Amino acid sequence: MAKEMVLSGCAASAQAAKMAKVEVICSYPIRPYTALMMELAKMVANGELDAEFVYGEGEHAQLSVVLGASAAGARVLTGSSGVGVTYAFETYSPIAGGRVPVQMMIADRALDPPGDFGSEHTDAMSCRDQGWLMGWAENPQEAFDNCLINYRVGEDHRVLLPQFVCQDGYFVSHIPGKVLLPDQSQVDEFLPPYTLPHPLDPKHPVSHGPQIRPDQGTIMDLQRAQAHLDAPAVIKEAIADFNRIFGRDYSPFVEEYMTDDAEMAFFIMGAHTMTARHAIKHLRSKGVKIGLVKLRFVRPWPTQEVAEALSKFKAVGVVETSTSYGGAMRGGNLLHEVRASLYDLPKRPLTTSFMAGLGGEMVPLKEFYYMADILSEMIKDGKAKKTVYWVGFEAEA
Amino acid sequence: MFTIPKEKEVPLGCITPAPVTEQAMMITGNWREYRPVIDNEKCNLCMNCIVFCPDACWQLNEAEDEVVWNAKYCKGCLICVNECTSGALTKVYELDFEDGVVRLEKPF
Amino acid sequence: MAVEVKTQNLPLIKKIRNIPKEEYYVPGHRTCAGCGPALQYKLVAKAAGANTVFLGPTGCMYVANASYLCTPYRVPWMHTQITNGGAVASGVEAAFQVLIRKGKREGELPNVIVMAGDGGSVDIGLQAMSAMMYRGHDALFICYDNESYANTGIQTSPTTPYGANTTFTPPGPAIPEGKKLFPKDPPQLVIGGHPAVKYVATASVAFPVDLMNKVRKALNVVGPTFLHIHAPCPKGWKFDSDKTVELAKLAIQTGMWILYEWENGEYKYQHKPKEYKPVREYLKLQGRFAHLTEAHIAKMQAFVDAKLKAPGIPVAVPIPPPRAQA
Repeated sequence: MAKEMVLSGCAASAQAAKMAKVEVICSYPIRPYTALMMELAKMVANGELDAEFVYGEGEHAQLSVVLGASAAGARVLTGSSGVGVTYAFETYSPIAGGRVPVQMMIADRALDPPGDFGSEHTDAMSCRDQGWLMGWAENPQEAFDNCLINYRVGEDHRVLLPQFVCQDGYFVSHIPGKVLLPDQSQVDEFLPPYTLPHPLDPKHPVSHGPQIRPDQGTIMDLQRAQAHLDAPAVIKEAIADFNRIFGRDYSPFVEEYMTDDAEMAFFIMGAHTMTARHAIKHLRSKGVKIGLVKLRFVRPWPTQEVAEALSKFKAVGVVETSTSYGGAMRGGNLLHEVRASLYDLPKRPLTTSFMAGLGGEMVPLKEFYYMADILSEMIKDGKAKKTVYWVGFEAEA
Repeated sequence: MFTIPKEKEVPLGCITPAPVTEQAMMITGNWREYRPVIDNEKCNLCMNCIVFCPDACWQLNEAEDEVVWNAKYCKGCLICVNECTSGALTKVYELDFEDGVVRLEKPF
Repeated sequence: MAVEVKTQNLPLIKKIRNIPKEEYYVPGHRTCAGCGPALQYKLVAKAAGANTVFLGPTGCMYVANASYLCTPYRVPWMHTQITNGGAVASGVEAAFQVLIRKGKREGELPNVIVMAGDGGSVDIGLQAMSAMMYRGHDALFICYDNESYANTGIQTSPTTPYGANTTFTPPGPAIPEGKKLFPKDPPQLVIGGHPAVKYVATASVAFPVDLMNKVRKALNVVGPTFLHIHAPCPKGWKFDSDKTVELAKLAIQTGMWILYEWENGEYKYQHKPKEYKPVREYLKLQGRFAHLTEAHIAKMQAFVDAKLKAPGIPVAVPIPPPRAQA
């Protein structure tokens, strides 16, 4: 029987993993994702979940343990935050290139130096080129849903890719929200059992990962590139099924909010989208023609969908909660990919990036109003004065 | 977006079939300078050559009760000659044999 | 209904004539002629048999065996990073536990064996090895010891002996002995500090029946086990390829390598020489020690003499002397 609970993002992710009947879990504590593992530990101890709960000796080990377990044919889950995510960096390419569909929940966190428990997308974003699927949840419901969707897409034999299932640290991982928990039968209908084409099995021996020549390396790269070309169709299928079975209304790649006659829009992902929606409602009541486009998948980046969604605006403000020091726009990295998506359009909107929410700070309504003002100015001037605004730190308030 | 020619294909995820009796993609018989030669009359079947060969190039033919040499893979390390307890094994220059294998100029 | 996870029980081998015939590490690999690690791999694979999964951290027993796009492993095998052999093996073992329990896989729990070099065991791989030992996984961790990072062209590792010439410890006027540090003792790192470990042993390619029986004993133990296998390296130690087994024997005869088992708190020794030969007999056959003076050889002899008194690193370990003042 479907039931509604109030859960934090961590608890919601744990519930999803339990309903997905995850088989091997590898833990290691780091704020703010730790509660995911604490919830799962309770479930295992209570006998609610029959899984091997392995105490990893570090984040690099966590990823290594689930790699081995997944390659042997077990559905796996691990997770981390901040420097834990970057400590495991060595493992990300071997896992993606080895086509082992490991799932890693990331409750993101600003990277050291120094210790900062606050949320930033930088930790996971730094790993986006390794070949994993990646996307952010806006709230605990999405955190729950994305766990199941990513198992379904990642484990599909047409894709076979590991997944970074991300949520804002604290804002989603800790602040509880309404989560509609489905029936186990619904989950079973949506998510088939996990199988690998060639698992580690003494009955059918294989060699997993022999050394290759440099020219063969290109082919290995092409395989991963192909997987990211094939993944969007599988994502669309999975979302359509998900909506049908669970009664949701997700758009696979980008979600539009109040964009119908909008002249300008925020392009945003993750928790701060919630505040942005409120800001837009308020601005709309003042007659400002503004909307927002929310990104659900960073990888594979939905180039077509982003271009289509943004092409109708005169100005787009890309709200960034991650850094890319020395990058082309000297700000974050989302703007680079947005501009790349828009490049071939005959008519492109003006774009700029707004660095907001860094270090784990909230993005209050007034900061969104400030961003909207700048977008209005841009439209009036017919150009962007700057390509990056560090919101709250600009000379003119 | 791109095509991979058939002869350049790499199995998905670099997962290759396991060999059963030999790995023919890495033939090493052309490495040797010296070949171990057995005098079966002298051999006392101590099994040292079979056990100590890193490349499993000596095997026991139980029907004939004699050890058999694998020319295709033997690298000519000569551990077997050094460990032979009966003096049955000696080393002979590879190119003294009609079927002596010439060492390749480059590895592949 | 949970299925009981059963493990196999491999019988011990009585003598060399009884060594199983089946090869699970087949001809056709790019290891050096006379490679000690390749020899021990063949024997280990033979002892373990068909119901086995090997994990291969990066090292000679990965790169040399698995070039290119092919391997000599007849049983399932997976490459791991040099850092995480113990961790990946833990995951494989955990997966088989849950999959068999849930009835998704049939048969006995496979032998899960990490085949790590000295670096992958007690240097960069130490953390993962220790954690596997601590967590009690039913798996075997093998450290094949060729006393260097051999695959990258012979660099010093924590098990490289005092006085060995490697490309990171070349002898020269400022550092006459080349390597000043004495090595870590891998089995001693495991023994006593990991409550779940009930069996640790050393082995050598010099005594193949002993080696294979120790592999089987370790695999028969339900829980984590550790084997330290001496595997001379003709290229790294600079000796002719036919001397691999002879040198391994000499190591034991001089006390440079000690064969023992530690089982449930008790030590048992194998092939203990009645009289030990002087270490110089062992050192003089290897080019990596050619630069040593009498003073250095005496230091090595003192170290071995102390070690022979009791297992482990002797109490008074000669520390590196202070660097000469300019």
